[in-house]
Amino acid sequence: MGHDNTILRVTDVHKYFRRGSERVDVLSGLNLEVGEGEFFGLMGPSGSGKTTLLNLIAGLDVPSEGEVWVGSNCISRMSESQLATWRTRNIGFVFQFYHLLPVLSAFENVELPLLLLPLSAGQRRQQVETALDLVGLKDRMWHRPGQLSGGQQQRVGIARAIVTDPLLIVADEPTGDLDAKSAVEILDLLEELRSGLEKTIIMVTHDPRAARRCDRVRHLDKGQVVDGSALQGEHVEEHVG
Amino acid sequence: MKLLGLMLKNIRRNWIASILASAATIMLVLMVTLVWSVLSFLDQVTAEKSKDLKAIITERWQIPSQMPYSYAATLTEGAARTDDDIRPIDSMTWSFYGGTTDIKNRTLDNTLFAFAMEPQKLRTMMDDLDSLPPDQAAELDAAIAKMDENRLGTIVGLDRLEALGKRVGDRIKLFGINYRGIDLELEIVGTFPRGRYDKSAVIHRDYLNAAVDAWPREHNGEEHPLAQKSLNLVWIKVPDSDAFQKVADQISSSPYYSSPAVKCETASSGIGSFLDAYRDLIWGMRYLLAPACLATVAVVMSIAIGIGVRKRQMELAVMKVLGFRPRQILIMVLGESLLLGTAAGLISSWATWYLVNNLLGGIPFPIAFFPSFMIDDGALWWGPAVGGGAALLGSVWPAWSACRVKVSEVFSKVT
Ligand SMILES: Nc1ncnc2c1ncn2[C@@H]1O[C@H](COP(=O)(O)OP(=O)(O)OP(=O)(O)O)[C@@H](O)[C@H]1O
Ligand SMILES: [Mg+2]
Repeated sequence: MGHDNTILRVTDVHKYFRRGSERVDVLSGLNLEVGEGEFFGLMGPSGSGKTTLLNLIAGLDVPSEGEVWVGSNCISRMSESQLATWRTRNIGFVFQFYHLLPVLSAFENVELPLLLLPLSAGQRRQQVETALDLVGLKDRMWHRPGQLSGGQQQRVGIARAIVTDPLLIVADEPTGDLDAKSAVEILDLLEELRSGLEKTIIMVTHDPRAARRCDRVRHLDKGQVVDGSALQGEHVEEHVG
Repeated sequence: MKLLGLMLKNIRRNWIASILASAATIMLVLMVTLVWSVLSFLDQVTAEKSKDLKAIITERWQIPSQMPYSYAATLTEGAARTDDDIRPIDSMTWSFYGGTTDIKNRTLDNTLFAFAMEPQKLRTMMDDLDSLPPDQAAELDAAIAKMDENRLGTIVGLDRLEALGKRVGDRIKLFGINYRGIDLELEIVGTFPRGRYDKSAVIHRDYLNAAVDAWPREHNGEEHPLAQKSLNLVWIKVPDSDAFQKVADQISSSPYYSSPAVKCETASSGIGSFLDAYRDLIWGMRYLLAPACLATVAVVMSIAIGIGVRKRQMELAVMKVLGFRPRQILIMVLGESLLLGTAAGLISSWATWYLVNNLLGGIPFPIAFFPSFMIDDGALWWGPAVGGGAALLGSVWPAWSACRVKVSEVFSKVT
């Protein structure tokens, strides 16, 4: 691909799971590079291994073979607790089902990852407020997840993902559980993060409309990344509109 | 750190599970509190007072103990024969005399049971009466002085006095019940301070002895049936348990006391041998009941926390995604149950302590001759400790499985 400023490099990664005596190969010899500031889309049929790949990129799992580099770190060689620490600062994860802690307010949910960093309460508060402001929910700061709509919850989820100012934002079907209008809002927000804050975003999606928002889309097939169809062209038109 | 706030919120959220777990803990800590209070109470009364302990000398093989009065002179000396032998610091002798004011129509109210003893020993050898506040001491001393002057004098407890319908200064005539035929004319010279001796009475030892001695003169030289059995107990006071052991040896090795034989025990060794009868029960309480309660708390906690953890598996996985370490998840789950268990233990033991000691004034528990017992003050700290400890123990497994949650598995199941 030839990005000078490659931020993610996945080289010859294999991932297989064991089911009893049977070996299930999910990823086989996968290569991928994503450049800094890129909004990258990943598509593919259900069960093709998209989440598995995201888990490897986010350091939630390690490959069976091959290497995953994020920035200057080879995360596929880190231990579980090294990965945990690394994740806090470098990865912002956005889930399909938001996964906010129901006992905590929006503010506290966004604050959660900051508790792991050496910050004062004042600094935390400032960062949380900035993140919530960015997603347009500053006025809902003290609401519990149960008191927010799906779209609003996902925006809190995005605020939580960006609050530590991570290197990569990783989103697994972030619009998969939303109605069309909320989905558009979330996609607008992600695009804004990319263009306004120059964030690198890796998004898995089933939705072609979401994929059109991306700078580049690839498909996962038979354990490998393959080129998408003519989506790239349509993307330009859509982007203007 | 901030985890504490999160723990509290989690406890509040899973409030049904929390309440069930704490209710069970409260009940079981209550059981443990009661059981351990009885045990520590018994420990206390059987523990040897190390200084100035009192020992009691009785007939070895018979209850009630009945010894010849001739034993008194040497027993009060601890059967000491040589200068090297240990002599007690103090002593007193007791004979029980029961009499009634109405021999034809005996009731509980007109019956008086009295200790015949040396009046002077009331102030040095009787429990509680040796440590009276000055005003009460002076009053009792005055009554004792009257008994010394007049051996017909008797000191009667307030309840007994009321039951008899008499007042200080009145005279009464008692018809002997156990000392059949030996009737005593008595003059009430005082009462005991309110408390332990409200139902007791004391008469002069010399008066009873004289009456027994006089019996043969009016009965063709025949002795009263109790003449050789008129000494029931001898109390001695010794400086420490070594001295007690020596005196006990002196007495048991002495040839004087062969018929009947006697034994010497401290109050606590006496209680101790009485409690031997309950040994299995006490052993069971200490080593079966109390641990069973603790195990139950642990199991209940384990189930409650386990259910909570399973319900929250996704959340815990999310926390891991955010960068929480397994150790922090472990601490959070352990901390939640520790908080819950400690709080439940605290509530339970403090409430029991307050209820029993302050409102009920002790629990009637018919063991040995203790009418009731109090909740040990130690319960205030070991109640929470027991609750917290058992809960912590019970949550080890759920907490371990919580921190082992594999994020990639949790999410691949959902998507
Ligand atoms: N921890 C695991 N153990 C065993 N098999 C797994 C595990 N994680 C994923 N798999 C298997 O790997 C394959 C890919 O799963 P993955 O969740 O990555 O698919 P996906 O592309 O994200 O699908 P979807 O679009 O439905 O989310 C599936 O067959 C799944 O059953
Ligand atoms: Mg998936």
